[in-house]
Parts: sequence; structure tokens; C-alpha cells
Amino acid sequence: MVLKLYTYYNSINGKRVAITLHEKNVPFELHNVDVFTGEHKVSTFLEKQPFGQVPYLDDDGFILYESRAISLYIATKYADQGNQGLIPTEPKANALFHQAVYSEVTNIEDPAYKAVVEKLFKKPVPGLVPDEEFFKKLITGLDGKLDVYEKILSKQKYLIGNEVTLADLYHIPYLSLLPAAGCHSVDSRPNVARWFKDITSRKSWQAVKDGIKSTSTY
Amino acid sequence: MVLKLYGNAVSPCTHRVALVLNEKEVPFEFHSIEFAKIEHKSPSYLEKQPFGQVPYIEDDDGFILYESRAIALYIATKYPDQGTKGLVPTDPKANALFHQAVYVEVTHFDDPAAKVTFEKNVKPKYFKGPVDEAYIEKLSNTLDAKLSVYDKILEKQKYLAGEELTLADLYHLPYGVQLAPIGIKNLVEKPNVSRWFKELEERKSWLDVKKTFNIQ
Repeated sequence: MVLKLYTYYNSINGKRVAITLHEKNVPFELHNVDVFTGEHKVSTFLEKQPFGQVPYLDDDGFILYESRAISLYIATKYADQGNQGLIPTEPKANALFHQAVYSEVTNIEDPAYKAVVEKLFKKPVPGLVPDEEFFKKLITGLDGKLDVYEKILSKQKYLIGNEVTLADLYHIPYLSLLPAAGCHSVDSRPNVARWFKDITSRKSWQAVKDGIKSTSTY
Repeated sequence: MVLKLYGNAVSPCTHRVALVLNEKEVPFEFHSIEFAKIEHKSPSYLEKQPFGQVPYIEDDDGFILYESRAIALYIATKYPDQGTKGLVPTDPKANALFHQAVYVEVTHFDDPAAKVTFEKNVKPKYFKGPVDEAYIEKLSNTLDAKLSVYDKILEKQKYLAGEELTLADLYHLPYGVQLAPIGIKNLVEKPNVSRWFKELEERKSWLDVKKTFNIQ
């Protein structure tokens, strides 16, 4: 049975999973969840994802949430197809992969995602005004972390070595929104910019950047 | 050469690694990084941990690794047959649910818990900054909402990833024990969460961490 991805079609975290599905050539059905009408907070949704967030995956009845757990599951299950090496299997390389992913979540995603939400997702909602001070504070934090990335990426092509892994690709859906939020922290750092241009030119991002679409009909 | 753990006695992330080393009965040497001397931002430290954060390990063969959960996963995977078994399930679906539980812990629990304990305990003590009570209340409300979801999950199963203890449960201890003392009582008041957390707190591996680092 074809994989079902339940998410808002333009969701940052949904796109993370969709990138992995494309990288591994895994067909899937997008089941759109209308987050603007609160579809992710109704009891039938909460039965599957109790935190009321998108995305979740339904693999023939096996339900999984958290986009990086889903991506890891897909890349492992379909290891032999699509792009190879996205999760290294040699023990030390695998440890460095997880090091890079946990570092990404706390050092990069935390400030960058919140900055994007503050600047871009509050604007269209009546009554919600972006907090400029909070945004600036987040970007200052992010800049310090991207300075570290600049050093790392001056010595190697990707975050854990010279081969691309999911640890690199996980950054795309939210870092790609920074320019629209008025932040050029990625573009202004030569090695980070080079790395980001490389990973965003991949077919997987090109396929989902303007919205996730089913690659299998239902 | 024994594994070396570089961290600080007051760092919950350091406690997280020590906890898993204890569970897997892996001997280690603790090397204290002096925050007061800003040792974690020195050039020689940054060569090992470029974000200037604690902890990192130097394994018995010189392999350097940071991020407490990456270290824990590496140790549990390297030593599957000693100490507590099953902390990282190998069956594909159980493994996926394990990683799901870990990312839940990182984003839904650790994020607010680390921030609220910093604001309440660390900022006034070490940085002499004013305490933002409104921020503390917001984080407390977040934790309350998240732990209400935990309570529903733990009503149906014994641990966060299923019926067996995994690293995902253990990861909650270092910040979890700091919450009740600052008035955030969810871990001791919600029925299923308190059943689950009490059992974790009583594990010998955690009691040994408390002894090693003089945690009250």
C-alpha cells in the first residue's frame, strides 16, 4: 500500500519528509491537512498525532510522527533505492550524522524556525503583530551558530564530510524562508551560501519547494 | 584508554551522558570544564566542540563526539549486550517509534524545560540578569500542555516509545528533576506521568549520577 503523508501541503516540517521521499524515490499520497481551519486539532487527528502537529505518516496502518523520525524510517526502509548514503551506516559516521542532526535542531532550527514564524506567519493573522525585538534576538543567536557552520563548511563540502546526508537536507525548508523574513544570514556567509545553494539545487527540493504534491494517485 | 567525558557537574546534558554510561556499565573519567574560566569558549575547546557547549566525549580510541543524545545513542549501540538492554530497539518500527519519542522529548519537553530552568536558576545566579516572570509563566503553561499529552500517551503504554524502557525516557531525567523545585509540578502531579517519572528517578544509574555530581 502506498505511503500516506498527512500534512499541510506547504508545511515546513511536511516538506522535510517530502524531500526524503523524493530522494529515495518513494511514491506517496499527500493528504492535505487544513491547519488554517484547525483540522490538526480535531479529535480524529489527535488520535494519530497527539501533539496536534503536522506531518504524520501512515505506512499501511503504521503511524509515525516527528519529521526527522519519519525521514530516518523512510531512508532506512528504502535504503537500497534512490540516492545512497543519506544516512551513513558505519558506526562512527552514523554517530557524526546524529551529532549533526541534534545540533541542527537545537542550534539552528530553534532560532531560525521561530524567527520565520514571528516574521512571516504572524503578519497575515489579524491581531498578531510580529515582535521585532524578539526576531532580532533570534537572528543574533542564529548568526553565532552560522559562524560555526561557516568554519565547518570551509573544511568540508557538507556538514559531516564530503558526502551529502539528511543532516544537510533537513535545514532546507526553514532556512529557505529567511530571505523573505528579511534575514540574509545564509547568503552573507560564503561557505554556508555555497552549501545551501548546492543542497537546494537538488531535484528533491525543486519538487517540493512550491508545495508538496502526491506522486501517486488515489 | 578509558572513555573521557568532558563536561560540567552542573550541566544537565553532562548528566544525560553519564546516566547512559552508567546504564550500559561503561566506565569513564570525568574531566571538568570550568565555566567560570570560560574554558568552554577557549580555542582548544572549540577545536573539539565548535559550538562551545558541553559535554563531549573522547572514546577509548580517540574518537570525539558531542551532542548528549548522539553520544548516548553511540554508546548504547556500541555496547548492546552489556548493562541495560533494549535501550535502542532494533526492530525497524520499534526503532522508528524510539526516534519519534526522542524528537518529542527534544522539542516538546527539553526546549521549554531547559529554557525555564535557565531563566529561573541559571540567569539570576550566574549572569546576574533580571528574571522574566512572564516568560517563566509562558514556559510553565507550555510544559503543562505538553505533559498533558504525555499523560494520555502514558495511560496506554508503560513508556514513551512503547512497553519497554528506552533512552527516550531516560533523557527526561536531568531537566525533569529540576522542575518541581521551581514550582512546575506536572511530573509529580499528573497521574500517568508521575508513575513513569518516579520509576525513572529511582533507577540506580540516576542515583549514581546524583552521587557523582553532587545533585540534590
